[in-house]
Amino acid sequence: MNTRIIYALALTLTSCWAHAVEGDPQPSVMWEYFHQRLLDNADFVFDEAVKVSVPPFAEDARQVPIEVDARALPGKVERVMIWAELNPIPQVLTLYPSAELEKFLAVRIRVEQATPIRAALLMDDGIWHVGSARVEAAGGGCSAPSVVRAQEGWEDHLGEIFGARFKAGDNSRLRLSVSHPMDNGLVDSIPEFYVNQAELRDRSGAVLARIDLFSAVSENPTLTLGIKGHPETQLWLRDNNGNEFTADIP
Amino acid sequence: MRCLLIFLCSSILSFSAWADYQLTPKKIAENTWLLEGSTENFNFENGGNIVNAAFIVTDTGVVVIDTGPSLAYGKALRAAIATVTDKPVIQVLLTHHHPDHVLGNQAFADVPIAALAGSKQLLQEQGNHMAENMYRVVGDWMRGTEVLLPSQLVEAGVLTIGGHPLQLLSLTGHTGADLVILDQRTGVLFAGDLVFYQRALATPNTPGLAAWLADIDTLEKLPWTLIVPGHGPLASDAQPFVQMRDYLTWLDSALREAAQTGMDMNQVLRLPIPERFAQVSLTRYELIRTVSHLYPLYEKQQWQRLDQD
Ligand SMILES: [Zn+2]
Repeated sequence: MNTRIIYALALTLTSCWAHAVEGDPQPSVMWEYFHQRLLDNADFVFDEAVKVSVPPFAEDARQVPIEVDARALPGKVERVMIWAELNPIPQVLTLYPSAELEKFLAVRIRVEQATPIRAALLMDDGIWHVGSARVEAAGGGCSAPSVVRAQEGWEDHLGEIFGARFKAGDNSRLRLSVSHPMDNGLVDSIPEFYVNQAELRDRSGAVLARIDLFSAVSENPTLTLGIKGHPETQLWLRDNNGNEFTADIP
Repeated sequence: MRCLLIFLCSSILSFSAWADYQLTPKKIAENTWLLEGSTENFNFENGGNIVNAAFIVTDTGVVVIDTGPSLAYGKALRAAIATVTDKPVIQVLLTHHHPDHVLGNQAFADVPIAALAGSKQLLQEQGNHMAENMYRVVGDWMRGTEVLLPSQLVEAGVLTIGGHPLQLLSLTGHTGADLVILDQRTGVLFAGDLVFYQRALATPNTPGLAAWLADIDTLEKLPWTLIVPGHGPLASDAQPFVQMRDYLTWLDSALREAAQTGMDMNQVLRLPIPERFAQVSLTRYELIRTVSHLYPLYEKQQWQRLDQD
């Protein structure tokens, strides 16, 4: 609770003094901070070819869908970072894709208040290409009690993975959801307990994508990935308590 | 410091914008009066008056159907009733627990306020949160408003008050506990939010669109002469049912097809809305909300268990 108040205070003070950078489609006083902290002050460009979609408002601040579509962006992606700028836990995920992945992904996150959402793609030219969107929210998504934990016997379902592969022309959409409370440490003194690593592998075990996840991701994380062709794949997950979960995606 | 000042100033400004609901009862049938709200969304201008409330002046007193979005609305409703009759208010019936229908209850604290058991429970669970939300979206209009739970429970059956046999139906489509009232003397059907007309339907508590569609069939078969929707204009023909069935069917199949083709939520909430619903207000807004409420259920139907168990 205290950390949240301090955080809010810091945010208010920063917004009095700091200022947004020019050319930012979602002007935010926090951009410079994240540019330094997450992108290591590296070269970047706000790029319309990185389309970030969110609903205009969060009907459920605990489950806000984010879609990143950069299929119009040429070149090879080295890394993708997504964050919610004004969240107490800003980072959503970092994706290290292989060439087998399409430049498309979707995930659901918690937001605590109205915030810019950023997706930054580090391309093989060494430049971060940044897409932005803004979601309005009445707030409370990060500090709301868990829906999963309110269900009797939720532990028995921990790590159950549901999903399917859908054909999208020459490519596929993988849609995956895992039963997990994704505790972020901000609610009812429940310590952090969340899935923090994922790998998508082909049938031989070769890694097609590695993902670091953060607890801004909603409980029962839902992930959509675009993949080339129509391959069978495997999903491997691990949470910060060391539980591992795997699934075959036919 | 400047931020703090701006914050204080804007707060003071928003709290000084007090206005009047200016409720004018319209006679729609023998002894029956309607207070028609707008088909807009909640905002600072309308104070949440987006809802239809009604009252019946029976031989023994006035029956009020829904109390509106705030204490101020409830008081204004009571004053409006007094402009057309000297009879006392003797009964309040709540169609369901949503804030725009029940937050005027305090103005009727001296009268039995009846609802379905399910509505009382939902109001108990969700009322405070919904009221807070209303303060946020309509501001000072809500001053003094608190949740007042129903003091009486009703079930399906006929409740006769002052020469008006009121047929009560206990349905589920909109919230899981939806009271519909058919006045068998006048044929006026108070449909509550099972019927939105010319205004997109809202889904936060629906048990599912199939249940809602079934309720529309039930309602249409009743011997009604006039339909009072929960939101939108009065109708003496079946158009509200036709529109509801068309819209619910479209919504259900759009969500199912989206899940079948593997769409994620953002794609779904961008889906084109058929031209024939152009005169229905707030369709995009409500679609965005519905995707959040219902799409996960449609997704689950298309997914399999994939972990090695
Ligand atoms: Zn309602």
